[in-house]
Amino acid sequence: MNLLDPNAGAKELLLGNEAIVRGALEAGVGFISCYPGTPSSEVPDTFFRLSAKGEYYFEYAPNEKVAMETAGAAALGGVPTLVTMKHVGVNVAADPMMTLAYIGTPGGLVILSADDPGCHSSQNEQDNRYYARLAGLPCFEPSTAQECKDMTREVMELSAKWEQPVLLRTTTRVNHLRGPVDFGPMKPAKTKGEFKKDPGRFVPIPAVARIRHKVLTANLEKIRDEIETSRWNRIFGHGNIGVIASGVARSYLKDVLKSRPDFKVKVLELGIAHPLPQKMVETFLKDLDKVVILEELEPILENDIRVLCQKKGLGIEVMGKGEDLPLWDEFSTLCVEKALARATGLKHTPPATCSVQISDLPNRPPNLCAGCSHRSVYVNTRKIFGDDAVYSSDIGCYTLGILPPLKAADFLLCMGSSVSSGCGMSRVIDNPVVAFIGDSTFFHSGITGLINAVYNDYDLILVILDNRTTAMTGHQPHPGVDQALYGLRPGNLEIEPLVRASGVEQIRKVKALNQKAVSEALMEFKSMKGVRVLIAEEPCPLYAKRVLGVKRSKVGVVKNSGQASMDCLNTLACPAFYMEEGNVRINPDTCAGCMVCVQICDEIKPGSRS
Amino acid sequence: MKPLRVFFTGVGGQGTLTATKLLAETALEQGLDVSAGEIHGMAQRGGVVHSFVLLGGYVSPKISQGEADVILGFEPMETLRALPFLKKDGLVLSSEDPVPPISVSTGKQEYPSVEMIKSKTLECSPRAVFLPCITLARETGVVQTANTVLMGAFFSMGILPFGLDVLLDSIKKRLKPKLVDVNLQAARLGADYARQSTQESV
Repeated sequence: MNLLDPNAGAKELLLGNEAIVRGALEAGVGFISCYPGTPSSEVPDTFFRLSAKGEYYFEYAPNEKVAMETAGAAALGGVPTLVTMKHVGVNVAADPMMTLAYIGTPGGLVILSADDPGCHSSQNEQDNRYYARLAGLPCFEPSTAQECKDMTREVMELSAKWEQPVLLRTTTRVNHLRGPVDFGPMKPAKTKGEFKKDPGRFVPIPAVARIRHKVLTANLEKIRDEIETSRWNRIFGHGNIGVIASGVARSYLKDVLKSRPDFKVKVLELGIAHPLPQKMVETFLKDLDKVVILEELEPILENDIRVLCQKKGLGIEVMGKGEDLPLWDEFSTLCVEKALARATGLKHTPPATCSVQISDLPNRPPNLCAGCSHRSVYVNTRKIFGDDAVYSSDIGCYTLGILPPLKAADFLLCMGSSVSSGCGMSRVIDNPVVAFIGDSTFFHSGITGLINAVYNDYDLILVILDNRTTAMTGHQPHPGVDQALYGLRPGNLEIEPLVRASGVEQIRKVKALNQKAVSEALMEFKSMKGVRVLIAEEPCPLYAKRVLGVKRSKVGVVKNSGQASMDCLNTLACPAFYMEEGNVRINPDTCAGCMVCVQICDEIKPGSRS
Repeated sequence: MKPLRVFFTGVGGQGTLTATKLLAETALEQGLDVSAGEIHGMAQRGGVVHSFVLLGGYVSPKISQGEADVILGFEPMETLRALPFLKKDGLVLSSEDPVPPISVSTGKQEYPSVEMIKSKTLECSPRAVFLPCITLARETGVVQTANTVLMGAFFSMGILPFGLDVLLDSIKKRLKPKLVDVNLQAARLGADYARQSTQESV
């Protein structure tokens, strides 16, 4: 597969996220910035992987706000630009985004928001189509891999033509589907542009902003007229019962209609979620008795259509959110079929399933990997602070420390919140507060919280779990990672001097797997006051193996299984441990050779990897 | 061909997604309509992985309960957990080598007996085949090929409109050169084992 193939004609099986990359390349994208976040991460990862051969400029930003600001300015400079993030990342980037819609983006700016209905890997399931309405962004929603490619290409061009930023809104299911994609011709990347100075437009002082708000509203009306005839909104089928579907619900609907030809319905597929093509929808609704709205999460189209019916005096029944179609989670062919059966009055027989009792099976929650240094620090912290301390957690692998026996996460708000929220907690309770944050998250938005902690004189122990990468989303680099690893200009930021420059005086730096060192530092901190920062360094074991080429020759071996090894197993919850006929064992295939167990248990000794 | 929904279930790190991609790409190359879906992210860290390959004309990249024609289980307890997704009398191909979750490793919970898993599965579908995937993979010298053992078995069952040869070609074409030989061996071991066990049961 060659995503950089300049010619049309290839047909490849692509991940939705890879198809988005190809679409942007076909449109001549010149500048891409991002902060990784599942389910968006493979978009920037693919650009990064291809960047040595591609003509475009690509960078990882420390957070989504920075990504939006650099990308926004590249688009002001006339270059076709893409900025990618997950849905909650848009919250971070919302400040510049709202204003970019006012001043407009002449080169074209496509904002990818990868939403996550069902919370597969997120802290909420917010519906970012609301952002499209809030900010005044046209919003496109692909539902297949081919659409991911074609829509991205078209939307990049439309954004430049309209000089307005556009939201490309996907959902996990679309980002991570795979389907065939026909490649089109690729335009050369446009990496240089021209900035036409116009302070009366691009500097939104209040007098300018007031005017630009009206311009935005007028632009959206022009765009609404144009999308009345867009190929992404289409009507098919016949009948007096209508179905309006958006996003990936369109795919479920198609499969249901194929298996249930007895559902005689007229369908309007909306590939564009905002602005609503009102004339088209009105024409569609006119001869119907009833309409079913299929959209995951919020009843946004449903409410728009109810308003339209009221305005136009259409007395048709609107069926939307309800018992078949909830406000949460993903849709499925099953729930769509139920809703259509209800609307048409036809029978729905749920498919016969196996009546196996599975509710009492052991669960399989995600766990910190064998050899993960976070485990080492958590075990030590619990030994010293136990249940007395309140543990302020953050977004990353280390959130997996929530479960017993580690229990190292008591509360969590969002990326970077462990430091600032840890501070707030420490002021109002008497218990010690220990906050955990990762290196990528520290650069993302932890550092501002730390500056505040010093400035406002808080009592907080902050542990920076520095595993030298952005582990959870797939090992993306960040400002603390030496770029020479990737054949780029050498250089990286050290965390310790930054912490010191933020005004922290009580700093310790340790090797995270060294039990004695971690323990001594924390014991020392326990008796101190004020802001205390422990930097615990050790590369993520997966990253160390795959990227740094580190080979660990040792494995842990249980020499005699007694109470001590049993305690060790119960303390660490390391996935390499298991019980066999009452004895504790370590699986050498799984053991990463971190040697933490050897340090805390004298029944376990280092052995050679055979 | 008759449209086919294939449901993959396994544990993060087992190569479930690699197998999913291999089937989807091979089917596309053989001229079938393909739609595939996967859920990853947190699941990388030893959680449950579910993925889907839909062949022959489906658009939606997901499988609801009671819709799967085939369940490919890379871990026996996860096969059991996924059974509600199986269509009545669908085919189950599963590893019989447990990968215990942490609650089991630490003795907090008990892993269901593999015999119980097998009998429950056979209650749902008489067409269930269990293979010692990890044990067979060890014969190749690379235990990580357990996923290919299962794929070898699947391609040899006569469900797909193409056979084991197509899988072997696909492995040669798509895997890194140093991984090709062990995976070819793994696929053949899985196919042989499946053929033998289906013959015995006939």
